[in-house]
Amino acid sequence: MRPTIIVEDLSVAYGDKLALEDVSFKMLEPGFLSVVGPNGSGKTTLLKALLGIIKPIAGYVEVLGYKVPTERYKLRKHVGYVPQRERVDPSKPVLVKDVVLMGRIALRGWGHPLLEADYRAAMDALKAVQMEDFWDEPYAHLSGGQQQRVLIARALAVNPQLLLLDEPLSGVDAVTQEVILRALKAKADEGVLLIMVVHDLNPVVELSNYVMLLNRRVVAFGKVWEVLSEQLLSDAFNRRVSIAKTDGKLIISGFDHHA
Amino acid sequence: MLDVILHSFIWRAIIAIAIAAAVSSTVGTFAVLRGFSTLSAAITHSSFAGASMAIICGVNPLLGALALSLGFSGLTAYASSANERKADVMVGMIFGFSTALAVFFLSMAGSYASAAWSFIVGDVLGVSWSDLLTLLTVSIISVGSTCLFYKEFKFITFDPEAAEAMGLRVSAYHYLMTTLVALFSVVAVKVVGVILATVLLIAPAAAAYEFSHNLEGMILLSLAISMVSGFFGFFLSLAVNLAPSPLIGIAVSAAYLLALVASPKRRRCGDLARHRVVKGA
Ligand SMILES: Nc1ncnc2c1ncn2[C@@H]1O[C@H](COP(=O)(O)OP(=O)(O)O)[C@@H](O)[C@H]1O
Ligand SMILES: [Mg+2]
Repeated sequence: MRPTIIVEDLSVAYGDKLALEDVSFKMLEPGFLSVVGPNGSGKTTLLKALLGIIKPIAGYVEVLGYKVPTERYKLRKHVGYVPQRERVDPSKPVLVKDVVLMGRIALRGWGHPLLEADYRAAMDALKAVQMEDFWDEPYAHLSGGQQQRVLIARALAVNPQLLLLDEPLSGVDAVTQEVILRALKAKADEGVLLIMVVHDLNPVVELSNYVMLLNRRVVAFGKVWEVLSEQLLSDAFNRRVSIAKTDGKLIISGFDHHA
Repeated sequence: MLDVILHSFIWRAIIAIAIAAAVSSTVGTFAVLRGFSTLSAAITHSSFAGASMAIICGVNPLLGALALSLGFSGLTAYASSANERKADVMVGMIFGFSTALAVFFLSMAGSYASAAWSFIVGDVLGVSWSDLLTLLTVSIISVGSTCLFYKEFKFITFDPEAAEAMGLRVSAYHYLMTTLVALFSVVAVKVVGVILATVLLIAPAAAAYEFSHNLEGMILLSLAISMVSGFFGFFLSLAVNLAPSPLIGIAVSAAYLLALVASPKRRRCGDLARHRVVKGA
C-alpha cells in the first residue's frame, strides 16, 4: 500500500449540475491536507469521490495505490471517515461504545463477533480524544463537541491509513478543538494521510502540510506558504480576504462565512 | 373461559401471536429507526394482494403473500437507491396498485371471498398447523438474519454515510432490511390482517424507543410491549367474545400512546428546548 493520492481531471455531477470540475492534485507522501471553500463548493463531494461513493463523470482517482472506483472496497478497509456532524441523527438509541465499535465492524465482516482487540482499539481511540469516561453513556446525551470527538474516535479505532474528516472543527469550543487537533497530529506523525475539510484555516495553518482552496474547481493547491496569498483566498471565496501576522501567528480574516 | 383455553386452536393462536411479536420487535426496531413505516404499510398491502391472488389461483395464500411482498419490497429498495423522491413515489404507487390488485381479485373471488376477507382483518383463530409452520419458518429466517447482520444493521441505521465510507455495502443491507419487512408482513396479515399489520410492526418499537438508550434495550422492550399488548388484546377478545385482531391493534396502539405520554425523552427534549431559549435570551 502506497501512502499516496493521485487525482486527475476529476469531474462529478449531480444530475446535470457539476459539483466538481477538472480537479487535479497529488499527494505523494503522507501529509495533512486542509480543504477550504465556501458552502456548496464540493468539499464533501470530493471526500466521497475519493472513496468511490459517488461515481465521477470523468477523471482518474487512485488512493493508497487502489484504483477508484474499481478497488473501492479494498480501499475502504483502510479508511477512517468522519461525516459532518449534522448528518448523523443523534436521537438514535446507541451508546458511545456502540458508536466507536462501529469502526471495527467492517474490519471483522458479517457473522463474526467483535473480539477483545476490537474493544481495546475502541477504548484507545476514545482515550486519544479524552472521551474514555463516556464509554457507557448514551450518544444522545453528549454535547455537540463530545459527539464530534466520539465520531473521530470511531474513525481512529480502525487504525486507518487514510483519515477523511468533514468539518470536524465546526461548532466545537476552543478546548475541544485543541484536543481534536492534538489527536490528529499524533496520527499524522505516525504516517497516516489526513484530509480535513475546514471552514476556518486559522486553527490548522500550522498543522497542514498542504492546503487546497476549492470552489468547484481547484483554485489553489500546494504547500501552505505557496497557497496562502490574499489574492488566491479572495478568488476562492469571491470576497476580500486579508492575512495579518500578530504575535507571530497568522490571522486570516474575511473568508469565514460564519464570521 | 377455562374450557376454551384447552382448545388447540387457542394454542395455535397464542403461538402465532408470539411469533408475530418476535418478528415485529426485531424488524420493527430497525424499521422505526430507519423511517420505514409508510414503506412497510405499502409492502403489507402488497402481501394482501398476493394472498388474494393466490386464493383465486388455488395456491397457498401465504405463498402468494410472500411472492408479491418480496417483489414489491425489492422494487422500493431499488427506487430508494436511486433517490428519495423516487422512493417516495414508488411507495405511494405500490400502496395504490396493491390495493387495486387486491380489490380486483376479491371481486373475482366469489365463493372464496371470505377466505380473502380473513387477510383484511386477520384470522388468528383460524391459523392451522401448516400455517404455523410457514410462520415459524419465516420468523426464523427474519430473526436469524437480524442476528447474523446485527452489527452491520446497527452501523447503517445510525450512520449510513460513514458505514458506506468504511466498507459496508449499504445498498445490499438496505435490500435485506426491506426483505425482512416483507417477511414480517406475511406473518402479520395472517395474524392481525393487512389493516393492522403496520401498527403491529411500528407501534411496539416506537413505544420502546421512548424509553431506550441503546438498541438492544429497544428490541427487548419492544418484544415485551408487543407480547403483553398482543396477549392482552387477544384474551380480552375471548372474554368479551369479539374479533381478536381489532382488540390486539387497539391494545398495541394504546401502548404506544401511553409510552408517548410517559416518555422521559419527550420531557428531556422539552428541557433542552427551554434551556436553549434561556441561553439564547
Ligand atoms: N445528493 C445530492 N444531490 C444533488 N445535489 C447535491 C447532492 N449533494 C451535494 N449536491 C450539490 O453539489 C454541490 C456541492 O455539494 P457539497 O460537496 O456538499 O459541498 P460542500 O461540502 O463544499 O458544502 C452543492 O451545490 C450541492 O447542492
Ligand atoms: Mg459539506
